[in-house]
Amino acid sequence: MFNYILQGTFTGLIFSLVALGYTLVYGVLRLINFAHSEVLMTGGFAGYFYLHYAMSNQTVVQSVWLSLFFIVTGVIVSGIAGTLVAIAIERFAYRPLRRRNAPKLAYLISAIGASYFLLNLFGKEFGRYPEATTQPFSNHVVVTLWGGQFTMFDFVILVAALLLMVILDFIVSRTKMGRSIRAVAMDAETASLMGVNVNRTIASTFALGGFMGGAAGFFVAINQGISYDMGFKPALLAFTAAVLGGIGNVRGAMIGGVVLGIVMFAPIYWLQQPWMEEVIAFSVLVLILLFRPTGLLGERLGRSA
Amino acid sequence: MSSEIDTTVPWYKKLTGDDYRRVATGTAGGAVLAVMTGPEGSIAEPLYALRASLLTAHVIGYLIFGIAIGCLLTYRAKIRDGVWKRRRATPRIPMAEKMAATSGPARSIALGGSGVVAVVAALLIADFSGPYVSHKASLHVIAHQFLYTRTYGYLVLALAIWFTGANQVFHVTNVRLRSLPKWSILVGALVGSLLFGLTADPFLRPRFSWHAIEPSYRDSMFHHWPTYLWVVLALLLALSYLRKRNSAAPMSATPRRRALVVTPSMRVLTYLGAGFIAYEAPKYLSSYWQISLYQQIGIFCLLAVGLNVVVGFAGLLDLGYVAFYALGAYTTAYFSGALPLQPPFHLNPFVVIPAAVVVAMLAGVLLGLPTLRLRGDYLAIVTLGFGEIVYVLANDWTAVTGGSPGTLSLPTFSVNLLGLHYSWNPADPLSYYYLMLGVIVPVIVLFDFLNNSKVGRSWAAIREDEVAAQSLGINALKYKVMAFAIGASTAGVAGVFTAAKVGVLFPATFVLQLSITILVLVIFGGMGSILGVLVGAVFLQWLPSYLTFHSYLGYQESDLLLYIGALLVIMMIFRPQGLVPSKRRRREFIDAELGLGSADALGAITQEQPS
Repeated sequence: MFNYILQGTFTGLIFSLVALGYTLVYGVLRLINFAHSEVLMTGGFAGYFYLHYAMSNQTVVQSVWLSLFFIVTGVIVSGIAGTLVAIAIERFAYRPLRRRNAPKLAYLISAIGASYFLLNLFGKEFGRYPEATTQPFSNHVVVTLWGGQFTMFDFVILVAALLLMVILDFIVSRTKMGRSIRAVAMDAETASLMGVNVNRTIASTFALGGFMGGAAGFFVAINQGISYDMGFKPALLAFTAAVLGGIGNVRGAMIGGVVLGIVMFAPIYWLQQPWMEEVIAFSVLVLILLFRPTGLLGERLGRSA
Repeated sequence: MSSEIDTTVPWYKKLTGDDYRRVATGTAGGAVLAVMTGPEGSIAEPLYALRASLLTAHVIGYLIFGIAIGCLLTYRAKIRDGVWKRRRATPRIPMAEKMAATSGPARSIALGGSGVVAVVAALLIADFSGPYVSHKASLHVIAHQFLYTRTYGYLVLALAIWFTGANQVFHVTNVRLRSLPKWSILVGALVGSLLFGLTADPFLRPRFSWHAIEPSYRDSMFHHWPTYLWVVLALLLALSYLRKRNSAAPMSATPRRRALVVTPSMRVLTYLGAGFIAYEAPKYLSSYWQISLYQQIGIFCLLAVGLNVVVGFAGLLDLGYVAFYALGAYTTAYFSGALPLQPPFHLNPFVVIPAAVVVAMLAGVLLGLPTLRLRGDYLAIVTLGFGEIVYVLANDWTAVTGGSPGTLSLPTFSVNLLGLHYSWNPADPLSYYYLMLGVIVPVIVLFDFLNNSKVGRSWAAIREDEVAAQSLGINALKYKVMAFAIGASTAGVAGVFTAAKVGVLFPATFVLQLSITILVLVIFGGMGSILGVLVGAVFLQWLPSYLTFHSYLGYQESDLLLYIGALLVIMMIFRPQGLVPSKRRRREFIDAELGLGSADALGAITQEQPS
């Protein structure tokens, strides 16, 4: 039982990272970024290629410092790849529509189009079969606690995800960029009158979410390997997490991911049917929407219809 | 304008950032096209595809294409802004006068030379657009593909280009083309396009002669769609040419575009003609196209018309549409006893249709009721999740659905009533096609009536301004759920038709990609317009079948969604209302961009409510 909760927590941390991308963009644009799954996928591919080429001459990393180096640089490389893709998505699928003040349906459809374009471009260029990633560290069990097993991977993701979230929270709440993001989220028109460059702020919002998504892609790539459609399921679940925590709410997304992970995995202990995970997750989504559409922490900036 | 041009500065110093951006965009676009159309790679050798294709004409061709477009746009913009000098400042001397001024031999050299240039250009185009040739391929293979039938089509194109130039010859010899009767242009276009269509026809052997055509090929030739396509294209071109001529006449003071007056008899004749074509034309298709007509085009028309009610009429985004399609198919399988879960009694697919409608509609209402109360974009994600759940259940819930191996040997439609016995034969796609026609026509008529009734007006009101609609007493939730349920039940019917024809069910059919494909059919044609949706569905379903059929065109079936994704983005940027939009929908999109109302029922994004 405890094992399932642990598994849920650590998977949930990945959801949290991805959910941040959804929630940031939602806060600023009031739109679900359907192309966010491809940010994760790109991050995963970048991480795969980075590890593939950087570690080409060693199968097992001997030194702790070296594997730490590979993890840190890998997260950065994946994050930057995710950032670039997120900015490209904003530039090509969102900005032309925003300039024209298009209806919401148009944004959703163009984001879906961008997502499918990227997905299949990667499938075409790099093949449509999954591939395992070179492991930057040996994934052995470190501690066994109440029947639950902490593996090395769990520790890595715990530390990395918490660190990334603390940094993001700092950026959003303390820096100038964060202040302009919050200003645009509150009221774009007034913010632009106050001298905030709205276009640049939106791009930086996508970039921030993209970095988190790309980093999450790195961990998904290490854990499950890569394939061109690797982004779809985590992103869908991450969206659920964002709604669970209260979409538009940055801290809500962080908590929502972990809660969703636990809620998703714990019942498997009794059901013993791993494929039920998703069914549970979406039932949770429908239930939240029914009973508490503003999520656990409430929509900080949103409005309920 | 020309007087203000500063000629002391060389032209290249007048280039600005915008111009570099144009050329760079063109280059990037060319590169993207090249990468998009190349062969599939593999993760194991990640850059294989790029490396292998770098050395071929393929990539270079697309790059040149992109750069050329960038340069051309730059040139046009520079001329327009009056920054660059027009290359020909003086009025153009007609070719004819130049020709008349030159001697006989020089004239023939010029004509012959231009002909050779045209032919070489056409051969190059044929090669660039030809099938992918790896740089590793031997010269023999390249030569073979170079001389492949299609090259002949482009040769004819070259001749056409050359003869356009030969227009000048007419001038020289004082036989002016314009003095010829107008119908001669039509005849010329017809003959030319037929020739082009025939020579570009892949059925023909490399040596073009009538004796080389086997009887079966001769049959299929005139049933070969591209030939017709070229003819229609040429006729349209010729007509637009003639029309331009007319408007250039002294009568041009009258409005240029006169509204087409549709008399009742014309409308009746149109429907009769459409009915006749829909009934007669499929008989002359080859069996590949008959199957494709039913399975690819017919069923998807039904699906698209159903989704149009949700996306087009009600303005809701449904991304799990295929789940209802799966429900219909699995209901058929359940009542035939092919699933592990046995039904209380077995039913013929005909009788399953109402059951499938009820099941899909119930699922639609159950899913719609909680989510349609909320902001519209939640609906998109919840339907996405629902589609995924249905897929997972079909794939993994082995005890009920049989799981991923699929379900085999489903029964076909049959009538066994009052002494009348008839069973539809899966080997004869036409019988299914006519059955489908018998369903889709009433459905279209019904939806059209619905759209023009109180219900349709309520949908439009909700789309344009939900709050205002509700204040006028329209129960928005009721109508939204209604649209959702109608769309779902249509998909259920389509599911029955698929299951009864194909006879097997695989969960892998009902993935999200299919929902997106159907969505594209609706958006491409024009959401909210039934005619548009049908046009979109027929064209976009025909095209992949055509490209798959002619495999030498280099189209890979797995790339379909790549192109569809790009198409979605491009449509949303440049023509969100679709190819054949309904008048009201187009106006809504324009109004929404001006900040008046909305074009969907997803809630406004520009208007903020005080919180």
